[in-house]
Amino acid sequence: MSLLSILIFLPLFAGLIIVVLPSSVREGYKYIALAAVIVQVLISAYIYLHFNGEVFTGIADQNKYQLVERLPWISLNLGAMGKLQIDYFLGLDGLSMPFMLLTSVVMLVALLASWEIKINLKGYFALFLLLDTAILGVFSALDFFLFYIFYELMLMPLYFLIGIWGGVRREYAAIKFFLYTLFGSVFMLLVIIGLYFSVTDPATGYHTFNMLSMMDAKNYVEGSIFSALAHNELFGVSARLLGFIVLFIAFAIKVPIVPLHTWLPDAHVEAPTPVSIILAGILLKVGGYGILRVCVSIFPEAAIQSAWWLGLIGIVSIIYGALNALAQTDLKRLVAYSSISHMGFVLLGIASITPEGISGAMMQMISHGFLSSMLFFLVGIIYTRVHDREIPHFRGLALIMPKFSAFIMIAFFASLGLPGFSAFIAEAFSLIGAFNSESINGLLPRWMAVCGTLGILLSACYFLWTLQRMFFGETRLFGGEKWKIQLTDVNAREVTALCILTAFALVLGIMPSLAFDKMNASVLELIRLVNLK
Amino acid sequence: MNEFTSILPELIKNIITGMPHFLPEIVLIITFIVVILVDLFYPGKKSVHTYVLVLTGIVVSAFFTIIQYQSSINGISVFNDSLKIDRIGIIFKLLFSAVVILYAIFIKGNIRMQNHNKGIGDLYMLLPAALLGLNLMAMASSLLMVYISIEMVSLASYLMVGYVSDGEKQSEAAMKYALFGGVCSAIMLYGMSLLYAFTGTLSLSDPQFMIRLAEMPQSVAAIAIILVLVGIGFKLAFVPLHFWSPDVYEGAPIPVTAFLSTGPKMAGFAVLIRFMEPFHIASNTSQGTPVFDFVAILSVIAIGSMIVGNFAAIWQNNMKRMLAYSSIGHTGLILMAIIVNSNDGIKAMLFYLMMYSIANMAAFMIAGKIEEQTGIINISSYKGLGKVFPLEMVCFVIILMSLTGLPPLAGFMGKVLIFSAAIESYSATNSIWMLSLLIVAALTTVVSLFYYFKIPLNAFLRQSDEIFIVKVKRDTLSYISLILTLLLILWGIMPGLLI
Repeated sequence: MSLLSILIFLPLFAGLIIVVLPSSVREGYKYIALAAVIVQVLISAYIYLHFNGEVFTGIADQNKYQLVERLPWISLNLGAMGKLQIDYFLGLDGLSMPFMLLTSVVMLVALLASWEIKINLKGYFALFLLLDTAILGVFSALDFFLFYIFYELMLMPLYFLIGIWGGVRREYAAIKFFLYTLFGSVFMLLVIIGLYFSVTDPATGYHTFNMLSMMDAKNYVEGSIFSALAHNELFGVSARLLGFIVLFIAFAIKVPIVPLHTWLPDAHVEAPTPVSIILAGILLKVGGYGILRVCVSIFPEAAIQSAWWLGLIGIVSIIYGALNALAQTDLKRLVAYSSISHMGFVLLGIASITPEGISGAMMQMISHGFLSSMLFFLVGIIYTRVHDREIPHFRGLALIMPKFSAFIMIAFFASLGLPGFSAFIAEAFSLIGAFNSESINGLLPRWMAVCGTLGILLSACYFLWTLQRMFFGETRLFGGEKWKIQLTDVNAREVTALCILTAFALVLGIMPSLAFDKMNASVLELIRLVNLK
Repeated sequence: MNEFTSILPELIKNIITGMPHFLPEIVLIITFIVVILVDLFYPGKKSVHTYVLVLTGIVVSAFFTIIQYQSSINGISVFNDSLKIDRIGIIFKLLFSAVVILYAIFIKGNIRMQNHNKGIGDLYMLLPAALLGLNLMAMASSLLMVYISIEMVSLASYLMVGYVSDGEKQSEAAMKYALFGGVCSAIMLYGMSLLYAFTGTLSLSDPQFMIRLAEMPQSVAAIAIILVLVGIGFKLAFVPLHFWSPDVYEGAPIPVTAFLSTGPKMAGFAVLIRFMEPFHIASNTSQGTPVFDFVAILSVIAIGSMIVGNFAAIWQNNMKRMLAYSSIGHTGLILMAIIVNSNDGIKAMLFYLMMYSIANMAAFMIAGKIEEQTGIINISSYKGLGKVFPLEMVCFVIILMSLTGLPPLAGFMGKVLIFSAAIESYSATNSIWMLSLLIVAALTTVVSLFYYFKIPLNAFLRQSDEIFIVKVKRDTLSYISLILTLLLILWGIMPGLLI
């Protein structure tokens, strides 16, 4: 068992312990979960420190992955179809390693936020840890089948986490989220099976689900559906382009892009605070990661062909999300729409297929992971105290909650791209990538970068305006004196969580090389792979 | 009479040489007779002796079937080609035995059936008889045998559906089932008589069967074949012959519903494969136009079943009706594997059938338990049951996830295998039917999530208005359904254990 497997299955193990423990030790569940997550953070920190980004570039070469673990898992003899060979195949490269660390840290914060959960503790922590396992699995699986299993495994715990512990409209939000994602992923399954029959493992000659084999044009069977040379067509569209589009839609629902975003405001708003943190902090990144790891790497020529559209979708998401955020009166909804807007930069950066753009996209995902977790955590603090989060119901909070206001100012300014914080670096790089694209590979026109800049301006508008409405001025609250007593300032546990997140956002803003160094070689390798086509 | 005397010794010899291969079925026949006698003279408290005897008989019969498996790689024809014993048939027979054993346990655990004033012994008696019919269906290779075996299962099923007819609904269900069944098998018999008239043989493995059928005008042959399909379709409950199933499923006692949705349905698939076999062999060897285009007609049926079954299930509130419609949807999906017509397709189908029968049995067991202890039969009344039946409801959710086809459960592997077979077939033939089947199957999977998840939605997400004061006991059925659920997880993660 390698370190990676321990990391992935540790939460599951802790979850099983919680399931079998009697409910008389109910209060102990969260400490078991906390212990598991802290060990997880330590392991991923160890992995980060020992990760050699220069040598282990990953992408399409198994020898360039770190902590590789490859065991035959399912092996079915299927007669004429050959052998159904599915490997338990894990590994880390510069694209996935940052997300392991991000997941661990965000999970820790989400767990600290889970102290507010009061009902049905056994179910809650068991599902929480199952979700943790699934997410870590998605980021490290290199076998497409294994990837899909972890990908789908995320849905069920989330459905119940939103559905049981969520807000008023939780049933609607939970099933909407589930249906949206399943819709994308069922068709993804068809493409995965299609790819399986198109690709053979050069070593054994059998068909394979190995993602790395799928990235190499040499491994495609002559005349198969997704073979680049065969030029197969389905419904008058090239099969490879169609495969790309199907996979892209599946992941884009997660990102989410406009117009497939409508599950997000509902799910984020109805979910309990810790689940909102996980959704915004990690789950959205699964979409972006999937696009890089799967769509762009396996169908590079289709990615280049559709780059303009990807860029356009990114721009639309940035502007549309920001305009919607401006119109919200519910603080949590505002943060949810700001997520859509910020994730648009990821798409814009990826579409540019330049080193700056993709690095910027990666950085934006990491930075947004920390910052959106922080924002949702902060919203959760207000909500648990007075069960209200309408912006007009609050005024002058800075006077009664000074520490809280300080944190929210940090979070807002960092999110709107103040230099010195990670979001600034991330958005700047994405935009530079988009801007340079016209001169480097001619994929994106310059006006897209200009429109992206407009998005930053809009985000400054909604964040600053909210700050002014809720925190400045004389204290006037909808709930009167009662609220004033309830709105106590942040306690030690909350300060811990917020400090962790602030530290990451700040450190990455001042020393972005801490992240860039680890992933740069992989990003360059990915671009080399795409340009081969 | 005299013209037979010359061939009589050979016929007898044929029968005698066939006997050893018929051992599992002979055991069932003996069990059947012994059970009648024991139940008559020495029933024990609540027919407990009968119960034990039935279980022993079935286990012994299954044991002999397993022995057969070793020696039947190429398949053996016995009794003048009316039965064919091959590996697929044997796997089917083992599946049937497992289903009937579960069914017997289910009956034993069902208090309503146990307390019925007619006593339960007669119902146990029917089990070996029904299993015999199912086994014959799996082995039948002549038209006559197909008919006899289907009738045998049908008769047993009619009796079971009407067994506890203590209300109008039950009587209606039993009547409906018997009437529709009778009409459908009459139509099938008519089709068979046409086929016999065209070909002069009843044996499906006789080469003359296909040669003479190919000489007939295509439309005439097609009519005969469609008439036979009607009879098989009644057992499978595919669209458009599905209309009886929701009513019967709803009206029948819940263990019987569980049996109907698994045993006879699987046997229907076995018969369909047997019936299609000569056509496939013919189309593989000869170059001419196929006698009958199974792909087109079965594709239409499969697409229809998936759409009607899954969409109609959305609007159901009665638990049993919902499962009835969903099983129509599953029939469509399994038909897809048959249309593929390859070894992979058959393998995928067997895996899927196994997963499906386990999941359905377990689902009905839990639904039955809930109905018995709380009287709840509607999904909308499942509110808050997650707290009352924690173990059962968690199992139920996992079972439903498996039926939806979510990883890492057996249902997902089944779906993957069927999709793989279909995609492989599509890339070989580029048939537009395959592509549409795949797309419909993917879409209806999403639809099925919607209705299956109404149960966890009510049980876990919603709170009940009333407080349940029932004292919930865990009994055999709870643990059996727990074991079945664990099997679904195990086979989802390690499907290699089976194939």
